[in-house]
Amino acid sequence: MKVWIGLTAMLLLAILIAACAGHVWASPAGLLRAIAGDHALRSRLLFEWRLPRVVAAAFVGALLGLGGTIYQGVFRNPLAEPYLLGSAGGAALGATVALLVPLALPQSWLLPLLAFAGAWGATVLVIGISRVAGAVDAAGLLLAGVAVAAILGALRSFLMLALSDETVSLQVVLSWVLGGIQTPSWAGTGWLVLITLGCLALSLTLARRLDVLGLGEAMALAFGLDVRRFIMLAVLAGSVIVAAAVAFGGLVAFVGLASPHVARWLVGPLHRPLLPASALVGAIVVVLADAVARAALPPAEIPLGLVTAVAGGPFFILLLAQRLRS
Amino acid sequence: MVFWTAGLQARIMNHERAWRLAVRKSLILMALCGSAAAQPITVRDAFDRSVTLPAPPRRIIPIFASNTEIVASLGLADRIVGIEAFTRHPREVLDRPLVGGRLGFSVDAVVALRPDLVVVTPSRQAANQLIDPMERIGVPLLVLLQRSVPEILANIRLIGRVVGVPERGEEVAARFEARLGAVKRRVEIAPTPSAIMITGRLGNGLMLVARDGTYTGDAMRLAGARSALPGTATIAQVSPEAILDADPDVLLWAGSARDLQDLIARPGWADMRAVKAGRVHAVSRVELLIPGPRSIDGIEHLAAIFHP
Repeated sequence: MKVWIGLTAMLLLAILIAACAGHVWASPAGLLRAIAGDHALRSRLLFEWRLPRVVAAAFVGALLGLGGTIYQGVFRNPLAEPYLLGSAGGAALGATVALLVPLALPQSWLLPLLAFAGAWGATVLVIGISRVAGAVDAAGLLLAGVAVAAILGALRSFLMLALSDETVSLQVVLSWVLGGIQTPSWAGTGWLVLITLGCLALSLTLARRLDVLGLGEAMALAFGLDVRRFIMLAVLAGSVIVAAAVAFGGLVAFVGLASPHVARWLVGPLHRPLLPASALVGAIVVVLADAVARAALPPAEIPLGLVTAVAGGPFFILLLAQRLRS
Repeated sequence: MVFWTAGLQARIMNHERAWRLAVRKSLILMALCGSAAAQPITVRDAFDRSVTLPAPPRRIIPIFASNTEIVASLGLADRIVGIEAFTRHPREVLDRPLVGGRLGFSVDAVVALRPDLVVVTPSRQAANQLIDPMERIGVPLLVLLQRSVPEILANIRLIGRVVGVPERGEEVAARFEARLGAVKRRVEIAPTPSAIMITGRLGNGLMLVARDGTYTGDAMRLAGARSALPGTATIAQVSPEAILDADPDVLLWAGSARDLQDLIARPGWADMRAVKAGRVHAVSRVELLIPGPRSIDGIEHLAAIFHP
């Protein structure tokens, strides 16, 4: 129980810090004024632009934590991460099309939609390929994932070269690919909250079977689990979760890999507590990293994925080393 | 009301000078009310967005050198409250706070300057990072495109209207049109040389050239040249072989004279028609690669090169 209270308190504190952080720092009193409906330009900026982004960052982080936990559970590999099965390449391709090809829909809709479709479509493609190849197991999926990622990456690079010019800048695509929380409207934020809760419920239904699978395929079969079928199901669920994260947050490196590990040290390996704990850890990390991305280098913004990788990498190595020594 | 109390005050003081003062005060007040009650200005921008300003803006943030120079050309440099990091002209605005640079644009920094107008061009990440937040918090934002020289002139007129000095915008644009007309009369009687302007060299050996369908390409056409690389409308990068093969009458390099010497010292380039005839020139980057008022100077300089 102590762990849960601690994690929740840390998340709230992180949200408060992040809401204050920016090129121009806000005071908690200023935040309250903004929430109370003050009409000054500064307050409107806090309420309409900064707060939804901070909330979105928390939920994107939670989705990445969930996705990472499922993938690590399915592949029984501590190095598995949510972008493993082509979803990063697919999402980036979708986003590139949304950002560079002039289409009829407004970009604020198109970008999350195509990013989602790309991320999920790529993983479905990977599963399809490994089914056709007759190898719906971890190794078959991984190989298909590598191949699909390579193809999608090449397509994206070609589109970037062919479609950019003075007005349609490569920087826009690049900064999306390197991760950056899109700022949804409050209505969009509401959708994100609902989606995240749905994803949490979905992943909890997988929890017990992920535990069984963790005993090894032979053991899982002995427990009556249809391993191949379950792997496919879990990967599909995981890819939906990751695609939702990508649609709102771009490609945020490292969080999906690290959060499950940190959560495992806190609550142990069983998936029922692990999934929500990993979501909380992911949320804390992304909220803080997004604050750094927004505040560290005025007047510029550092892409979020770079912050999570540069700051999260050493932190993760340190924790890992401590863990291995003890 | 103010007039009445001032009048009352005057009657109590019973002094003719006070009366005059009261009349002058009320006249000033009426003038102030007049400008405060000015009609809201509504225009359509390059993204076909409707932009409404309740009153002429007093605190303008023009993003990019081109837009800054246009605002300054209307004599309104003192209304500019912020610029981006690569704006180098005019000198009097260079001390203004920066709102962005190569790594993007800061919504926080923009809002801290309390602007009542932001002008952007979709380049780098400006449009993507600024349009949405400014719309949400209600700061008027005008998007401008500059794909041709006439579009630059239209932008001068549009900004003139938006900032409440339409006659000045009209006057500046008309003056530029007159100068362009003079260039046109001069160049249309002479044969048109073919030309290539190289604007940059890439690490992989490819070269960036000014294309048709951009204001730089348009400036070359208006100055009386035709492109020696027709059909490079979509891709700006060409191989040095393509430039050799096109063998233009005039070769331009947007940059320094020393880099130009490096460029034509490449094997094979000495045999180009332009190099042999001595028609190789370094031209000003700020005049030809910033789509602002100085583009007109650039066109006059180009015309002098194409038609000596």
